[in-house]
Amino acid sequence: MPRFLFGFALSLAIGLSLAEAVCAQTRPAATASKAPSSDPSHDLSGVWFDDHPRPNKVDERYWVYKFTPDEPPMTAWGLAQLNAAKTSFGPHPVPIAETNDPIYHTCAPMGFPRIFLYPLPMQIVQTPGEVIMIFEYDSVRHQIFTDGRPHDTSLGPLWMGDSVGHWEGDTLVADTVNFNDKTWLDRMGHAHSDQLHVIERIRRVDHDHLIDDLAIDDPKAYTKPWTAHLTFILKPKWTLAEAFCEDEQSFQSLDEAAAEPAKK
Amino acid sequence: MRNQNVRVGILFAAAMAVSIALTASPQTKKTSATASTIEARDLSGVWFDDHPRPNSVTERYWIYKFTLEEPPMTAWGQAQFDAAKSSFGSHPYPLMQTNDPIYHTCTPPGFPRIYLHPFPMQIVQTPGEVIVLFEYDSIRHQIFTDGRPHDAALGPLWMGDSIGHWEGDTLVADTVNLNDKTWLDRMGHPHTDQLHVVERIRRADHDHLVNDITFEDPKAYIKPWTAHLTFALHPKWTLGEQFCEDQNSFEDIESNEVKPMK
Repeated sequence: MPRFLFGFALSLAIGLSLAEAVCAQTRPAATASKAPSSDPSHDLSGVWFDDHPRPNKVDERYWVYKFTPDEPPMTAWGLAQLNAAKTSFGPHPVPIAETNDPIYHTCAPMGFPRIFLYPLPMQIVQTPGEVIMIFEYDSVRHQIFTDGRPHDTSLGPLWMGDSVGHWEGDTLVADTVNFNDKTWLDRMGHAHSDQLHVIERIRRVDHDHLIDDLAIDDPKAYTKPWTAHLTFILKPKWTLAEAFCEDEQSFQSLDEAAAEPAKK
Repeated sequence: MRNQNVRVGILFAAAMAVSIALTASPQTKKTSATASTIEARDLSGVWFDDHPRPNSVTERYWIYKFTLEEPPMTAWGQAQFDAAKSSFGSHPYPLMQTNDPIYHTCTPPGFPRIYLHPFPMQIVQTPGEVIVLFEYDSIRHQIFTDGRPHDAALGPLWMGDSIGHWEGDTLVADTVNLNDKTWLDRMGHPHTDQLHVVERIRRADHDHLVNDITFEDPKAYIKPWTAHLTFALHPKWTLGEQFCEDQNSFEDIESNEVKPMK
């Protein structure tokens, strides 16, 4: 747990200092990048960290617990689920001992796309037929097959879903279905069902910046598809550390750190 | 993985052509040997253990320990081992009664025990890393080959701190900074935070990988000892999703494991 806390605090501190450095001096793009794909614009590899600003109050840092500042367009069922959720985040946080967040108490996986909301780095590695996001958090893997295979419904329901992708120009379009309904969509308790369908449009806007535009569709939980915009910054000197969920305290340290004011 | 297989196949074919050329014309030796070594350093692919499959689970020692013979334990090591209530081996305990540290709470199996869980692993490589991704619980064994030293500030870790270098076509990986919360294997052989593991990983041929492991832990074992793991390439496989959710995850796996192999 100290390791967990340490890793988070370190990431945050380095993230802040590097973010400032990048603002101060614009780096020349396209320094040596080793592309496993034949098309260099398809190289997403590297260690990435979220690139949001860092206001002092945790409720202003919505991106550590939900995808958009505005509420998504919930169905009656979706709203009822949110109202029943006792989250440790948001405007009315409950203590961790009282939360009914499904990942607490048993180290159950947080699932996709919620994994994007944890403020720890992720690394993208590529093979000729796959783009693999490896998250530092619990070493969770988001594996996108780009070899032309279709979805395989016999695989599901899954925590991370079944992801297939293709390239449209320099954008990787990843389509994920076959989810289970055991997870929250985010850390605030927004709901999803096993009908969740997520389309990501992932693009390296320049050498040091990556964006992931998510379209979230789930007719049981939301009245219409809605979108989120995630931004990441390259951390060329970082490598992923070990951050396993061991027990309830693993999360407690992480959440306490996340709730603290961002350090300058 | 189909594309990758094609690519590896091309590399392999090229390597064969090069070695034939090398036999035929010695003057090209230097260039050809270099190219051949670089190709041999490609460990990427999905691998699965390559042991035979006898019917009885007690004969399949490799799913619960590293060697057929007992490793050379110290008195302390033996005492730890005697106190372990494993669900494997010649006197298996029911899951409810085992004191295996990974049960009941989904704690990580740790390194090197992860090699004993009978699921595939995928090796991916970047210019500075060789990463072993295990299907089992999404575990990662990340070996830095960029020349960095060990970083004692990182430990103690479940998977340890692994750095590697190439000796010809063999990746030599050195792992320290392990915590003492895990068993070395699934049978309850112990280790301490002094555990030091050296792996020699080599692609014996296109379809086969060997990993010769040396274990050293002066508190638990009187001398270093070795294990020999073999893997076969599965070009059409991809890793599935396998998370530890609760104790039932393990019960399902283990009830399958003790069945006779199909």
